[in-house]
Amino acid sequence: MNPIRKRRVYSILFVLLFSVSGISLILYSLNSNLDYFFTPTELKDRNIPSEKRIKVGGMVLNGSVERASSTISFTITDYENSVKVVYEGIVPDLFKEDSGVVVLGILRNKTIYAEEVLAKHDENYMPPNIEMNNDN
Amino acid sequence: MIKKFIHQFASPKTYLYQVDRFYSYIFLISLITYTISITWGLLYTPEDFVQGNSYRIIYLHVPASFLSQSLYIAMAISSVTYLIWRVKLAAYLVIAIAPIGAMTTFIALISGSIWGIPTWGTWWQWDARITSTLILFIMYLGLISLHNSFSNHEKADKLLSWLVIVGAINIPIIKKSVDWWSTLHQSASITLTDKPSIDPVMLYPLIGSITGFFGLVICLVLLSSKYQIFIREKNKSWVKDYV
Amino acid sequence: MFNFAFNSLHEAIYMNGHGLYVWSVVILVFVSLLGFFIGYTIKIKKIKDKLNEPN
Repeated sequence: MNPIRKRRVYSILFVLLFSVSGISLILYSLNSNLDYFFTPTELKDRNIPSEKRIKVGGMVLNGSVERASSTISFTITDYENSVKVVYEGIVPDLFKEDSGVVVLGILRNKTIYAEEVLAKHDENYMPPNIEMNNDN
Repeated sequence: MIKKFIHQFASPKTYLYQVDRFYSYIFLISLITYTISITWGLLYTPEDFVQGNSYRIIYLHVPASFLSQSLYIAMAISSVTYLIWRVKLAAYLVIAIAPIGAMTTFIALISGSIWGIPTWGTWWQWDARITSTLILFIMYLGLISLHNSFSNHEKADKLLSWLVIVGAINIPIIKKSVDWWSTLHQSASITLTDKPSIDPVMLYPLIGSITGFFGLVICLVLLSSKYQIFIREKNKSWVKDYV
Repeated sequence: MFNFAFNSLHEAIYMNGHGLYVWSVVILVFVSLLGFFIGYTIKIKKIKDKLNEPN
């Protein structure tokens, strides 16, 4: 390879190295701030001050959903720790026991008073009836 | 040897004649593949056990998202080729791809937003996947407007290529965002290493729609690069012979 | 594997309330692709005409 081209290759590699290391440092220092939500375990470990708006995500604990008129309460769990949520409003269609959920709300007395409840689904897609599908 | 190869086959003239030779075949095959796969996915697959019929947006959203990232990688490869070997065609490709990349990223963002309403219960959240995709869209727009603001094409080509290479860092971030941070967006259903977490009856039309969309977008890139060649080489005698 | 997923055309359009979302995305993709194809074809034609003009 001729020297001019060699120098161009080096300068490209240098720029790449520079930008990759720069961005990596930024992302590393921001790391947990880029998380969209806390898990109940992180919530417990971090000592979040009361009255702060936070997002918590996890699974809706089976059997924990209680509906009373317009209020709904349930427990978010990561199967190690859990946190109780109270919410007034309509939950998304995909909100179900044993499925993913993210809530935005204020932490008060170990309970989250939610302003927003979002359903988080996983990457699995399949037809409702698996047996039928296996016959094909 | 490499130099000779590149300069012979990457001459805009040879490229243009090859494009004309293959364009209609690629277009027809892609159009048929895409139409069949989309129809199959939208009307002939069972609904999803969690999301019901709204999951069908996957057949439009995933191809667009996939292409938004692939096109950027193509731009980055062209940029490197241009910067090292000063192949003009590579520089034309960089600016030819940018608007199409912006279009696919726009489709990915909007279709994702629409999909979010019935499933997540929101059309926009600042999670790592969505935000990094928005950054990709802004980057495409920035690159286009930057190139337009230059009157000296060659200076613009060089600056653009450098910026594309620097911005390429965003692609692995988009890809890995769902693994590195907690996000509202789910992780990938199709990966190179694991068995797909999507049922085969839904997977086949998805692969078809990705392939078909890929082909159609390639056609757009061919058209767009043809246009760039005309703009940039309009004073060359071979262009006058060509048209 | 190739069974029509709906009982009627109306059901296929309505999709249990999700039709609006699904079909609006279909229209978005269709319009974007068509727009870009037509746009580039016109642009190429225009510049070709310009190059063909005797100067």
